[in-house]
Amino acid sequence: MPKWNEIQEQSFLETSARDRALGMVDEGTFTELAGPFDRFASPHLDVLGDAICFDDGIVTGVGKIGKTPVFVISQEGRFIGGAVGEVHGAKMVNAVRLAIEFHDKLKAENPNISAEELPIVAFSLETGGVRLHESNAGLLAHAELMDQLQKARHKVPVIAVIGSKVGCFGGMGFVAAAMDAIVMSEFGRLGLTGPEVIEQEMGKDEFDSSDRSLVYRTTGGRHKYVMGDCNMLVGPKVSDFKEAIGKLAVLPIEDFESMRRIGSPELVEKQLKYVALAAEMHPADARDMWAKAGNEDVAEMTEKPLVKFLAETKRLEL
Amino acid sequence: MEMQETMMGRGRDAIDMIVDADSFKEGTVGAKTFDDPEFGPGAVVGTAGLDGKDVTIIASDAMAFNEKFPVVYAGIIGMEEGYKMAQAVYASMAADADKSAAEKRALVLIVDTPGNGPGKVEEIIGMNKATGAYQLALAEARLKGHPIVAMVIGRAISGAFLCHGLQADHILSLDAQFGTMIHVMPITSISRIIKKDIETLEELSKGNPVFAAGPRFFSALGGVNELVGSIEGMRPAIIKHIAEIRALKAAGEEDKLGPWGRGLLGEEVKGRVARPKVIAKMNEEFAAVAEKYAPSR
Repeated sequence: MPKWNEIQEQSFLETSARDRALGMVDEGTFTELAGPFDRFASPHLDVLGDAICFDDGIVTGVGKIGKTPVFVISQEGRFIGGAVGEVHGAKMVNAVRLAIEFHDKLKAENPNISAEELPIVAFSLETGGVRLHESNAGLLAHAELMDQLQKARHKVPVIAVIGSKVGCFGGMGFVAAAMDAIVMSEFGRLGLTGPEVIEQEMGKDEFDSSDRSLVYRTTGGRHKYVMGDCNMLVGPKVSDFKEAIGKLAVLPIEDFESMRRIGSPELVEKQLKYVALAAEMHPADARDMWAKAGNEDVAEMTEKPLVKFLAETKRLEL
Repeated sequence: MEMQETMMGRGRDAIDMIVDADSFKEGTVGAKTFDDPEFGPGAVVGTAGLDGKDVTIIASDAMAFNEKFPVVYAGIIGMEEGYKMAQAVYASMAADADKSAAEKRALVLIVDTPGNGPGKVEEIIGMNKATGAYQLALAEARLKGHPIVAMVIGRAISGAFLCHGLQADHILSLDAQFGTMIHVMPITSISRIIKKDIETLEELSKGNPVFAAGPRFFSALGGVNELVGSIEGMRPAIIKHIAEIRALKAAGEEDKLGPWGRGLLGEEVKGRVARPKVIAKMNEEFAAVAEKYAPSR
């Protein structure tokens, strides 16, 4: 197990779910809940002859960043693609529920508790969505999580952290969109229908999923940043993500409303402007949207260094 | 089981079978009117009478084709459809904003949809936001007291069922003989992706309902509150469930409703018994350390 400060220097993309969980909070503050020693594996896999995992591919627990209690959820893409089944789903749903319950308890005990001392949720997403081996349980768990996210509104900030290999797809794509803030690296990817599924259903000319550059232009952090679908585009290391989460951890819940993408009639109105623009432009590539945002050097936008990209890029504000 | 006449593709017919005779006014919900027929043609939204009271109706039109987004047809919920349905929910909340919870109008979701829009432009713009927006609107309305009933009449698939169905207080489904399907994707696709042959999956799905594609399997996991055995039975079942939901909400029993309620039902019917054990253990383990995370006084 690498030490905490070694984890900080690691690439977030390559780091395991457990090390990400440890590394996203201050050193020595993380307590795992329903960890591997509790042996909560999926009851639905052995009948299919598949290997199980004693944390069912997800790390849940609580830590601290400064004064802020942080409920941590971190998915492991190397176990069935981080996909969501019954146990995996229960862990993430209950982690959010515990954060809300703890918020209510602390607020009741001390009504003028500072925002900094109230809990947040940091969710390191690495998943293809519903686990097909137990798809009905996975569907029900996604619905439970969206219910908890609505119950967290105006109380507990929920932060999506997306920078791992598998990306964040399928049903978890709309779960991330429903969160208060989204932090991505340029290697993170986010969407609903994964490129392979689009190609399988609609054919190669709709989406050639073997075209890595197209995949990143469409689902990667840089495109999401231009579209406002991620709030912060950070460097590749675990410390870069921890720093970003730390900046958000001290903010009052009111400050998150302006960072959101969906969750109110006004935000639906705003999103419909992007849909109307797409209906008018028929974009064949994400670059068409970058140009629409006023960026002249569209071809260089994927290659230029991150610092330059952040300094020069115009975002599509509608 | 002898197959009955399917309701697949007949969302508009189902509206007429469910609501008070000739009471459906399409395109109006409270103060909101949807007067552009080109906008989200796959989504049918409006107001109707049900047992004499106003209800919001949301359904899919499987015959509609969205000219602007070519992957959106046959009842698929695309970006426009998802946001239009969300707007119908927000308009219902606004219309009853100053009414007591007990008087807030019910929402009836008539479900026959094969999925969300699976195209490249949908990923460039963000289909995930539209399907998420509709879910958050429904969850907000449910938590504000509006009774929400989903009536599955045909296909209830993956992200489209998650947004148009799974945030309801109660979910009803026509029984298996009507060909209703509740799942993520057909066993043929599942077998390709998880590399198991179809015979094994079909054999297993008889005894292990966790991935099989029918309403009875989903019901075995606590995912369906009632299987309706006839087409005429839809209307009375919906009216009955709206009354049940209002009673539970009035008694402060929201936890028995919606997604969390289906979790409890899953335990009751022994379909999902691992879930409650995980939750209980996490609660116990957190209680033991909670003090450490409270502000130090």
